[in-house]
Amino acid sequence: MSRQIEYRDALNEAMSEEMRRDQRVFLLGEEVAQYNGAYKVSRGMLDEFGPKRIIDTPISESGFAGMAIGAAMRGLRPICEFMSWSFSLVAADPILNNAPKMLYMSGGQFGCPIVFRGNDGAGGQLGSTHSWCVEGLFSNVPGLKMVIPSNPYEAKGLLKTAIRDDDPVFFLESERMLGDKGEVPEEEYLIPFGKANVVREGTDCTLLSWGRPVNFAVEAAEELAKEGLSCEVIDGRTIRPLDLETIVRSVKKTNRLVVIDQSWSFGSPGSEVASQVHAACFDDLDNHVHRVHSHDVPAPYAANLEQEMLPNARRICEAVRSCCYVA
Amino acid sequence: MSIEVTMPRLSDTMESGTIVEWKVAVGDKVSSGDVVADVETDKATMELAVYDDGTIASIDVEPGVQVDVGTVIALLAEKGEDPANLKPASSAPAPAAAPAPEPAPEPASSSAPSPVATPVVSATPAASSSGGGMRISPVARRMAESAGIPLATIVGTGPSGRIIKRDVEAAMAAGAETAASVPPAVNVPAVAAAPIAQPVAQASSIAITPIESMAGHGSPMASRRVPLSNMRQVIARRLVESKTTIPHYQVSMSFDMDPLMTMRKDLNEKLAGGDVKLSVNDFLVRAAALAMHQHPDFNASFDGDAIVQHGAVNVGIAISLPEDKGGGLVVGVIRDADRKSLRMISAESKALAEKARTRGLAPEDMEGATFTISNLGMFGVDHFTAIINPPNSAILAVGGAMKQPVVRGDSIEVGHRMTATLSNDHRVIDGAMAARWLQTVRESVEHPTLLLV
Repeated sequence: MSRQIEYRDALNEAMSEEMRRDQRVFLLGEEVAQYNGAYKVSRGMLDEFGPKRIIDTPISESGFAGMAIGAAMRGLRPICEFMSWSFSLVAADPILNNAPKMLYMSGGQFGCPIVFRGNDGAGGQLGSTHSWCVEGLFSNVPGLKMVIPSNPYEAKGLLKTAIRDDDPVFFLESERMLGDKGEVPEEEYLIPFGKANVVREGTDCTLLSWGRPVNFAVEAAEELAKEGLSCEVIDGRTIRPLDLETIVRSVKKTNRLVVIDQSWSFGSPGSEVASQVHAACFDDLDNHVHRVHSHDVPAPYAANLEQEMLPNARRICEAVRSCCYVA
Repeated sequence: MSIEVTMPRLSDTMESGTIVEWKVAVGDKVSSGDVVADVETDKATMELAVYDDGTIASIDVEPGVQVDVGTVIALLAEKGEDPANLKPASSAPAPAAAPAPEPAPEPASSSAPSPVATPVVSATPAASSSGGGMRISPVARRMAESAGIPLATIVGTGPSGRIIKRDVEAAMAAGAETAASVPPAVNVPAVAAAPIAQPVAQASSIAITPIESMAGHGSPMASRRVPLSNMRQVIARRLVESKTTIPHYQVSMSFDMDPLMTMRKDLNEKLAGGDVKLSVNDFLVRAAALAMHQHPDFNASFDGDAIVQHGAVNVGIAISLPEDKGGGLVVGVIRDADRKSLRMISAESKALAEKARTRGLAPEDMEGATFTISNLGMFGVDHFTAIINPPNSAILAVGGAMKQPVVRGDSIEVGHRMTATLSNDHRVIDGAMAARWLQTVRESVEHPTLLLV
């Protein structure tokens, strides 16, 4: 068995390797340098790369995100860490109004090769304002790429690709997964964008998800297998670009699709996939596309209510049974 | 209580079976052990017996329809039970309950019901179903249309009676499919007659029949798509595998058949009145089997990293099946053919052919061949090549013993010669080995007394 490392260390390795490889890459954000990262993702990086490339910023997302975008436009390749994506909302103008539109508005003169990364989704009783799932909100914007790794292996391979990408990449990590361990090879590898990963094959129903809920989908598939339902689980890896081809290929086999997306349902990646699948392979469907989202309420503080609000294995099982007409 | 008759599992690998023919009709009394139908499996056509006494109350699967093992195919009414009160087991409508008017009485012996074609609705299923508020999932609609199942015959089990994928699958299994899946052999072509001709003919008790002599010339041949029988699927799969994975080559040799023909005639005359009549093929089976003892590398199979030489000589004989049984061919196996006399080989070979053409061979009749002989001599074929029957390494294709001018000494005489062509797996058998084997066989065919000891 190859070595097991934590999700946070996979992120660290991806950044450190790319910084060694390319002098233009640097990291900035709150507490990334002296404190070794609010969540210890950038542990040791100040020591290796020094204060010019590992930069502590004030608590001023709008300011440092804008600064990073300017650096990217001038040819550097910044990694801009948000302690939480919930805090990126105060930087909405630079990250949504500038970064993804720059190439278009400058007629191709200035691109914006930047990675915005940080924790997305409920961290565990952080309350309504600090528990954002920004997939639905930000994937609406043309010009950006959105990546959600589901485990340490994915985190490292996808972050390296993100740093080398010439477009602004919104890289959505999970505080709840930072301590998860998984196999990550010693040798270098990159995971391309727009190539979904079939993590489990099945014949009765396709389960598509991104990021942390992929693990709940696998859990649900194991449970459903005991009931005789064979589920195919797809880790979508990237929301933009969306690998519709892999999804449709699977739906043509199973005739049923359940999308698990931890953002709210209204105007979300889940609703977008449902629409695109209905358009692409309507005649292959045995039921309408079912979706499991966070419930349509602000995140509750109470632990039990927060658990119930998020997609979980039980809710996924219920959706699959309903989609397969065995509820 | 009624008794359900289900599709049995007749072999280890059987997952579904096709009713070839029902031997009983609704209303017939049956006893435990009675054969009620012929069932085609992935391996063979076999007899289906019932295990209870009763009266056939319903037949739920039509001939030609393939159903999964365990599917209810008929219902038996127990003693004292009124068969008429039992509902058919399948959710699909009972096949053609109304008796069709019969212009001429059938002979009493043929009690088996011939499949009755369900009247075909002229509108396409989609057109007939889309209007009436029917609910159906997209994939179910597509599957039903491509299988030719009218939607009106499918019971929907989804919300608000929506027809969903599993309902179409159930309908396909239960045989809602009618004419499309009936094997062509029993699919009597309809007679084309002008609309006015039919009532006129009926009123005058005239049977309208096609004029055979006109069908051959001038009139166009009908295009049709014939679904593969299980046997045809097996033939297709195995022979493509054989021809594409085994490096075949052929070696032919011609034999002087006069000594064997003379001896055979003599023996058959002497044995006349008994039940023995030796065929040329019986001699060849024995000659081939005996030759294996001199050439054990011939009685062998290629097995990845080794060649397996078999300790027993089991000679397969290709048996063609009559068209009215669906055609095709099977290989019956004469076990330990090297240790059996001509008389035994002959009797066994006849029994196998008879069984293959009537009841069908059981899997054990077809297993374990180490070499195969295919003989088309009776059709006037002088030579042909055959495809190896895996896991054999060779097959002998035998032509007829042809009367022809032969050179004896320095003169030309009238004699009989036969050409046999060996197809060999070059991974196992090289050309010189094949030639030496044929020499051995020729030695015994041309000196047939060798075959008597």
